[in-house]
Amino acid sequence: MEFYTQALSSVLTFWPLLAMIGATLLGVFIGALPGLNPVMAIALLLPLTYSMDPLVALAMVAGIYNGSMYGGAIPAILLRIPGTPASIATTFDGFPMADKGEASKALKIACWSSAIGGIASAIALMTVGPLLARVTLFFGPAEYFWIAIFGMASVGVMVGSDPIKGIMAAVLGLLIGTIGIDSLSGQARYTFGQTWLLGGLDLIVVLVGLYALPPVLQLAEKCDLKGLSAAQLKLTDVPFKPGEIRSLIPTWIRSSGIGIGVGILPGAGGNIAAFLSYNAAKNASKDPDSFGKGNPQGVAAAESGNNADNAASMIPALALGIPGNVVAALVLSALTIHGLQPGPQLFHQNPVLVGGFMMEMLITSLLIFLLGGAVATRVFAQFQRLPGVLLVPSILILMCVGVYVINGRPIDLWVMLLAGIAGYFLEKLNVPLAPIILGMILGPMAEQSVRRALLISRGDATELLTRPISATLAVATFLVIAWPIFKAIRRKKANAAAVE
Amino acid sequence: MEQRQDIVLGLIFVGLGIAAAWMATSYNGAGGIYPMVLGIILTLLGGAVALKAVRARSTSERTLIDAPSKMITAVVTAVIYVALIVPLGFYSSSFLLMLALPIALGFRQGLYALIVALVFILVVFLVFSVLLEKPLPREALGPLLGFGG
Repeated sequence: MEFYTQALSSVLTFWPLLAMIGATLLGVFIGALPGLNPVMAIALLLPLTYSMDPLVALAMVAGIYNGSMYGGAIPAILLRIPGTPASIATTFDGFPMADKGEASKALKIACWSSAIGGIASAIALMTVGPLLARVTLFFGPAEYFWIAIFGMASVGVMVGSDPIKGIMAAVLGLLIGTIGIDSLSGQARYTFGQTWLLGGLDLIVVLVGLYALPPVLQLAEKCDLKGLSAAQLKLTDVPFKPGEIRSLIPTWIRSSGIGIGVGILPGAGGNIAAFLSYNAAKNASKDPDSFGKGNPQGVAAAESGNNADNAASMIPALALGIPGNVVAALVLSALTIHGLQPGPQLFHQNPVLVGGFMMEMLITSLLIFLLGGAVATRVFAQFQRLPGVLLVPSILILMCVGVYVINGRPIDLWVMLLAGIAGYFLEKLNVPLAPIILGMILGPMAEQSVRRALLISRGDATELLTRPISATLAVATFLVIAWPIFKAIRRKKANAAAVE
Repeated sequence: MEQRQDIVLGLIFVGLGIAAAWMATSYNGAGGIYPMVLGIILTLLGGAVALKAVRARSTSERTLIDAPSKMITAVVTAVIYVALIVPLGFYSSSFLLMLALPIALGFRQGLYALIVALVFILVVFLVFSVLLEKPLPREALGPLLGFGG
């Protein structure tokens, strides 16, 4: 408890508070603009946080993450355009509600549901995170190797439509992670005689390119020259019926639980949490046919589900150093930028920082209640009147300034452009980008762990499989990879039987 | 279309994997074994993607670029912008980008674009150069305008 009271007193100071308020507003704005997403925004923000206090930097990450998850609901409800992938399920009932003249009510439900999901998730992070960190004190190099491989395999298999392409992307990320001086032997790998490659490719440079350039190119392709008219963004107030808000409570509880569960799993993101929550609400309803036709329960389920995923996805990242999604990977990057090593030691060596970040996830969820109300929503919706074509150069400039200030090297701008163009085509070819980033982060940890484990065991590779925890993790990794293969074989057999 | 794209994708990864594994043979000890193993795995996975595409005999369409002229315009403009940042200066090249790219993409409200460009560049200047004091490439026109470069 002292852990959290200390953290709270550090967070409730001027700069972290200002950062949380500003970033939550910025997050809602980013989420409300289709084409911009939280990953892109956090990636653009990170290079600017180098000189900041870590608690201020993490406050901004927390604000943007939580704010944008709610912000995505604004165009989803008003225009049936999901602002972020996680708000796709919000369109199912949000837009029909707006169509019936209940847009303001739908937005209020989305705001409250997002805040409740976020608060539940932050509480889960604050309770489960420290417990999981204690378990990892028993981990040695072999366990860390398997946990890195398990994290990557899960993300590779789960994020895309084709598990082989997902794993291929993870291996590509691992290979990119080997570029530069090998920390154990001191030899340069894949540097082609270039001194700027000796330190390896900067994660943030590659990440900004991979995650920010493809949406920018897609915005250019859409070529929106007009923006939206004022009439399209008009909201009318419809009062709640008696007992209507109370009827949402079971949905909020159920969806928050689902979102937290999905958040802890590596690879499964806010969109999966929202879909599962929506389906669960529909199945539990006495009137499932009303879903998809403007049922407020559908909006509540989707929004509390996707926000409940946020803080929960930080549990494996903070406790094990294994990010389950790209935002968690970005939080780990923010920590390493400030010289902090994620993992169990983080909780013991920097309790104020870890506890502070957890508190910031909680406070920014609470801020959605205050800042995301109908009045604010009306203001944010107005940004959609800006022609999309003007956003294209603006984001490009922010990408370049963000990347340039990291090392002050023009070459990084070219690396970013190249990564972005590659990312654009890889996405089109159904190769997920998240495993590449996770491979780059976890690669050095996996390599160092396996080499240390082999040094300790004097080259005996069975050491990697004979300890109980490492053996369990190895089996889990095998199952994660084998499961889609098994499913494909079974589907093939079923198809063959149907033809016969 | 989709089948041919996946075959090419698989073969590119096979090429990358072979190159990585071959280069790793020149590295000593464990520092070479790890990337070599990764190169071999990448080759196998690339081969699996290509083989799967060959066997699938899919005829479905998958558009690689939705609006090729707009996408190429954006990429070429971005490349020119990055090339101009150092010789021209960050703010000068960014201002030009804010005007040139929307116009190249078909935006015809010049005054609107100019106002947005001025406001945006001013905000970027205040945040990055005044508030955060980040060093950015110097303006070539600076000395001419009396800013000292």
